[in-house]
Amino acid sequence: MLTDIPEPSQTKMPRAQHTLRWRSRLWAVGGLVVVLAAAVALATSVGSADISFFTVWEILFSKLPFLNIDYKGDERIEDIILTIRLPRVVLAGLVGASLAVAGATYQGLFRNPLADPYLIGVSQGALLGAVIGFVIPGIGDNLTDFGVVPTLAFVGAMGAVITVYLIARSGKSLPVTTLILAGVALGAWLSAISHYLMLQSDDGKLHAIVSWMFGHIDDEWNQVLTVLPFALIGICIIWLYARPLNVMQLDEEQAQQLGINVERTKLILLACSTLITAVSVAFCGIIGFVGIIVPHAVRLIWGPDHRFLLPLSTLVGAIFLIMADTVVRTITDPESIPIGVITASVGAPFFLFLLWKKKRGTFF
Amino acid sequence: MLKLENISLGYGKQDILTDINLSVERGEMLGIIGPNGSGKSTLVKGICRLLIPRTGRVFVDGKDVAGISRSKLARIAAVVPQTPNLPDTFTAFEIVLMGRTPHLGRFRFEGNRDFDIAWKAMEITNTQSIAERRIDEISGGQKQLLTIARALAQEPKLILLDEPTAHLDINYQIETLDFVRGLCSQQHIAAMAVLHDLNLAAQYCDRLALLSKGSIQAEGSPQEVITEQNVKEVYGANVCVYPHPVNGLPTTVIMPGESNQTAE
Amino acid sequence: MKRFWLKTLVAVVLILALAPLGACDDNDADTTTPKNNLATDEAPDKSSLRIVSLAPSNTEVIFALGLGDNLVGVTEYCDYPPEAEEKAKIGGFSTVDMEKVIEVAPDLVVATSMHEESVTPELERRGLKVITLAPETLTEVLDGIIEVGAATGKEGVASELVAQMQEKINAVIEKVEPLLEGDKPGVMYVTWHDPIWTVGNSTLTHELIEIAGGENVFADGDGNMETDLETVVWRNPQVILASIGHGSAEDSPVTWANTEGRLSGLDALKDGRVYGIDANLVTRPGPRLVEGLQIVAEYLYPSVFVE
Repeated sequence: MLTDIPEPSQTKMPRAQHTLRWRSRLWAVGGLVVVLAAAVALATSVGSADISFFTVWEILFSKLPFLNIDYKGDERIEDIILTIRLPRVVLAGLVGASLAVAGATYQGLFRNPLADPYLIGVSQGALLGAVIGFVIPGIGDNLTDFGVVPTLAFVGAMGAVITVYLIARSGKSLPVTTLILAGVALGAWLSAISHYLMLQSDDGKLHAIVSWMFGHIDDEWNQVLTVLPFALIGICIIWLYARPLNVMQLDEEQAQQLGINVERTKLILLACSTLITAVSVAFCGIIGFVGIIVPHAVRLIWGPDHRFLLPLSTLVGAIFLIMADTVVRTITDPESIPIGVITASVGAPFFLFLLWKKKRGTFF
Repeated sequence: MLKLENISLGYGKQDILTDINLSVERGEMLGIIGPNGSGKSTLVKGICRLLIPRTGRVFVDGKDVAGISRSKLARIAAVVPQTPNLPDTFTAFEIVLMGRTPHLGRFRFEGNRDFDIAWKAMEITNTQSIAERRIDEISGGQKQLLTIARALAQEPKLILLDEPTAHLDINYQIETLDFVRGLCSQQHIAAMAVLHDLNLAAQYCDRLALLSKGSIQAEGSPQEVITEQNVKEVYGANVCVYPHPVNGLPTTVIMPGESNQTAE
Repeated sequence: MKRFWLKTLVAVVLILALAPLGACDDNDADTTTPKNNLATDEAPDKSSLRIVSLAPSNTEVIFALGLGDNLVGVTEYCDYPPEAEEKAKIGGFSTVDMEKVIEVAPDLVVATSMHEESVTPELERRGLKVITLAPETLTEVLDGIIEVGAATGKEGVASELVAQMQEKINAVIEKVEPLLEGDKPGVMYVTWHDPIWTVGNSTLTHELIEIAGGENVFADGDGNMETDLETVVWRNPQVILASIGHGSAEDSPVTWANTEGRLSGLDALKDGRVYGIDANLVTRPGPRLVEGLQIVAEYLYPSVFVE
């Protein structure tokens, strides 16, 4: 039908523009991958021990299979780089990526620029789980035990969101406004319980809980290996739903009329983004601002198309948190500034900047 | 192309529409008119499966709508909603391009053909000039045209329009309906438009269906449906219906009612 | 009318405020008749001297001087010698239950630097005599013992105790001296492992390590200090002394030192020189420091000290 119409004169124009924009975005992806690699190397070369940048690169490259570089230096240095610094950097990257993607997804799902991954109760649930892990005697004594606090935090986080989902769900549909309201209400209640429990605990435990709350990245490979599959699978699934997420920026009715299975899309995106957030929070506490700032920054520079927004947010999120963690490790020794403070210190001014820019047109 | 058999549907327990039977053929434009609350919008939702009819069946292109996937339905039927919510930061072209969604799988990116179709749709609707502008920079009328362009990009055989001229200036009203009318006759598309304005309905639609309180009060040609008696019965208003001076179609002229004017 | 009610209100408030003063405290069933509080410049009757200790280290000193029977109040943490645990408890580390202290009516209170700010002034205000022991070096520990001896009429006992301690210390120094020509082993003392706390200079533990012929790898730090895993690996101690006495079995510095995989490359782990040591023996500024010193020396130079 439409092909019966005679060829219009300007077929080239928007396609060319469009292709140009696509190409610049692809370049951006490539560029950011390089930046990420550089950030990893830079972060790994920073630490208490005085190890030269060159040595760090040598060690890192020697671990890559295809290059034939062999590191023949001090085994201790290799240990420091590979077993103390590198896992921490990798974890920071994974968590940063997860939080940024989850934030972008939540903003798209709720069509709200203020949404972040903690919107519907993940952080309050995780905090309660962690507090229980710290405070209840017998459970909490073994603070170095790998499983206790992270497991309880994860259970708390997922439990909170599942509860909110069950409350908000009506029949086959999931109205997002109800989701937010239920999340805020449940979150407030869980917070209250957590605070009460915190007040009951002694000073030492209280300090430990507050430290946990504000975020920290540990340097354990087994944490990395636990987070990795969740993050990888969750982020990939979310990427696959980029186009439906685009179409859902119209309202839900229009999206449905364009063939999108809105309810299924909502459910899958909600589940995946909550999962990767819960896993991140379980191990690293509640790191704020990454989930809300990174997607906005990416959107500001590269546009709202989720097919680029999501991968770019992943990369930028990873880079951001790696750099923030590097700051934590260099500025304070021993570390007394939680990473959440750094992300807030960068995030808040940037957010204000975005609002200032908003006066000159919307950014969402 | 479109056939409704014994459709009853509503929200929750209450039926808003009862026992609707309608059909629209390709190349034909059917107008749905009636007072607010008579169920016009509900009808559109029932056809595109935003609402599931309690009874009856909807056939589109010979197929029962209940049995085909949402994507497949979207490839055949396009809906132009009343006041489309469009996200501010996308460009006009990107919005129109979204009309290609039902034709692309999950993984395919838009190809040249998709760009061409979207571009042509914008040419037809005269919106090419705003292709690269952001949504928050264009007017309501242009947004409406964009939505129509998007519907066109779906390459539909059936277009459903829910009050497409509701918020438009008179020139845009004429332009839009001229164009939809043209689609029907030239592209052999079936169109069903919910219209508020009786005169527009009479001028542009091949057939009309007058809804009142959830059922069809009258159906047929404009002359058959738009009569003083029908209007009085359904709307409760006194009007005069005259033949249009140029083409003879029924033209509704209002008669102001008794008011407390100071008689002089 | 109003003035009447105002006066009544004032009267009621005053009565309520003064009532507690009239309430009797009926807890003194088993205490002996308290002596009069003596002014600070009157010489106390030495044999019936009543002493309160505000720190476990002070308690140990008091017992070592043979004044165990004179001790009428200790902290919750005073655990050595075992008899100390049976004494009346008058507080925790820096918190002191003033009521209890007054109840046991001491003639002498032995405090630490932690009490200097608020507790000690309060005690002195009530007319109690307070000695503060705040030794930062081994020598100051010995001096402190002498001071307590003087205040309690046990000068002779004190000098003899100090002489014995000094003798044992000198014995260690003597044995260690020839070994100082060679490489001194790098030593790390692990106070706690999560986060990692160790001792820098100007701590007693550091001093013991140095006297015993070791080199504290964290000697550049000041006081009790926090560090991280990376620095520990980097500094590669040959001997690790992990404190015993905190945490549960699985969650103790000793377990950590032995099981943390990333320490396996350290000389201390490779040579199997991870030792647990009772924290109280190397950190408490009391007579048992000497014992601690001997143990540390044994760990550092087993061939010399273990016959």
